[in-house]
Amino acid sequence: MRILLVEDDVDLQTSLAEILRAAGYAVDVSGDGIEGLFYGEEYALDLAIIDLGLPGMSGLELIRKLRERERRFPILILTARAEWQDKVEGLESGADDYLTKPFHPEELKARVGALLRRSAGHAKPVVELGSLKIDLVSQRVFNGEQEIELTTYEYKVFEYLLMHPDEVVTKSVLSEHMYEEDADRDSNVIEVFVGRLRKKIDPQGVTNPIETLRGRGYRLNRPLQSD
Amino acid sequence: MSTNANQQRPFSLRLRLIVLAVLLLTVSLGLVGFSLDAAFHKSSVVSLQTRMESLVYLVLAATEVTEDGILKVDDDPGDPRLGQPGSGIYAVVQGDDQQWFSSSSLGVSLPELAQISAGESDFLPPVPALDFYSFQYGVSWELQAGGLLPVTVTILVAPQELAKEVGAFRAGLWRSLGVTGLILVLAQMLLLALGLRPLRRIAQDISGVESGKLERLEDNYPKELEPLKRNLNHLLDTEKANQTRYRNALDSLAHSLKTPLSVIRSSLPSVPSSKTQVMENAVTDMQRLIATRLQRAAASTRRSIAQAVDVNAQVKRVVQALTRVYSQKLISIDVMIGPELAFYGEQRDLLELAGNLLDNACKYGNGKVHLSAQAIDASDPRVGIRLQVDDNGPGIAPDQREKLLQRGVRGDERVEGHGLGLAIVLEIVSAYNGEITISQGDLGGARVSVTLITR
Repeated sequence: MRILLVEDDVDLQTSLAEILRAAGYAVDVSGDGIEGLFYGEEYALDLAIIDLGLPGMSGLELIRKLRERERRFPILILTARAEWQDKVEGLESGADDYLTKPFHPEELKARVGALLRRSAGHAKPVVELGSLKIDLVSQRVFNGEQEIELTTYEYKVFEYLLMHPDEVVTKSVLSEHMYEEDADRDSNVIEVFVGRLRKKIDPQGVTNPIETLRGRGYRLNRPLQSD
Repeated sequence: MSTNANQQRPFSLRLRLIVLAVLLLTVSLGLVGFSLDAAFHKSSVVSLQTRMESLVYLVLAATEVTEDGILKVDDDPGDPRLGQPGSGIYAVVQGDDQQWFSSSSLGVSLPELAQISAGESDFLPPVPALDFYSFQYGVSWELQAGGLLPVTVTILVAPQELAKEVGAFRAGLWRSLGVTGLILVLAQMLLLALGLRPLRRIAQDISGVESGKLERLEDNYPKELEPLKRNLNHLLDTEKANQTRYRNALDSLAHSLKTPLSVIRSSLPSVPSSKTQVMENAVTDMQRLIATRLQRAAASTRRSIAQAVDVNAQVKRVVQALTRVYSQKLISIDVMIGPELAFYGEQRDLLELAGNLLDNACKYGNGKVHLSAQAIDASDPRVGIRLQVDDNGPGIAPDQREKLLQRGVRGDERVEGHGLGLAIVLEIVSAYNGEITISQGDLGGARVSVTLITR
């Protein structure tokens, strides 16, 4: 999952990016509104965290512009202005949630996770896929009572596919959402991750939840009994 | 306006002007009346004198002296009033020891008259000894036998004659002066009504600014009121500018304090220890101080000239925002507010109050929230509003209610949960001299009722 963080305070930007990366997200950072708008338009983002008091272009303006340009990913506002007047204005401009400074890093992670799940249509933090149970908060995967150990990238691939069920996801989209802008990408690596992931979640090759569509990409098929 | 000012309030401009005009009119019309009266009296005396003089000649023409010096006067000298007894006009002709009286003097006792020498004439107004206007004319009659008979013709006119005339004039004079005065006073009132109309208009416009219908005084007023308009607009602008500056200062203070606090918090090691707990508590206290103190300072900048805020529209904004934030939790917020309800305070205070109360209700309730608001006094919407938020959560235990509503209780002493939001609500309510109560609501959970007084 790829997140854009627009925050002009360098210290806060650095430590938040660190916390989010540690939580397994790919994070692009920007220190002003104009650059933020460019990233928001150009990158394949799953969520944006935007501070309201930005140089160049205010956070409200940035959110409005992104929404005008049909960018639908969830937006979380960070604001030092705790008053409802500001919260209401922020949400009216098109944001989905707000977090007032100073906040707990845990609270930020929880809100980000909730927004991502919400945009994928999962109300609960635990998603079921056949006999698999995926806890999106603790990022653990269970088969019945048995926990399946996944590497960070295997989990990222799985999570992205879970957030976009029944959709065809190309390898390049997967790599775009997993890596930050300046990372080296190799779509062959994605094939390797998907191959390993399949073996781990479906060792017998019975349910085959991740389908390969030759030349197009992958699709996560939801079993009929699941909601 | 205080009662003290009421007691010492000077008379109204209109009353002043009318009283002064009446006084001025009375004095000036009185003076005019008196001088006209005096002039008329004088001219009627003069004309009386002329009339008496001509009567003298008439009587003289009817007078004749025989050869032997006997004075004879025709009984009808040619004026009927001389022949009519008691007519008030009498003629007396004297020649040495002879006397003739006109027939009008029958039954009237005339005083003794002295003769005057020939060639002289004498007009006298009434005196106590002689209560008549008298005109005497002396001639001397040449006798055939030689010698001269001095003859004096006297015309006497009773003063009532003149008094009747002057009285009729006087009555007419004062009546017409009275009517003139009345017309002038009425005209003055009309002038005042027309002249003071711009004042009434500016007063209306000022109350329009007060009620929020107008931002500033934009109308065109007479030249004399322009400085007043300019100064009032300046006052309004200054007030607005001061408030904005104050707000901005508070805002940037909040902003500049909170970001470093966020940095501190996000730099704390994720594994808690007693040291990180100390820092965490300090950050929490600072956060609470900023939220309540800054909010209190902002709330105390209530405008003296408050504009009407549409309560329904503002509450709807909050409800929409909350619906968005809590879209995962199924929440239904029922709002019952009359469409016309207006709040004569700060919009941001209303948003803050509704936001915190509804947010708490969404957080701690089980999905059902009910908000209602009314004017405190239905007949005067400026008095203030009453707001009530119910939820269907577990409610707040009676022994905790008291604690929640204590102002100035330190963060860690407060009941967790409702804490910060309710602390801000408390600050706003106290800034508006309102009241807050927590009770059991109809939905089974907590009910928070607040009043905001705007007068």
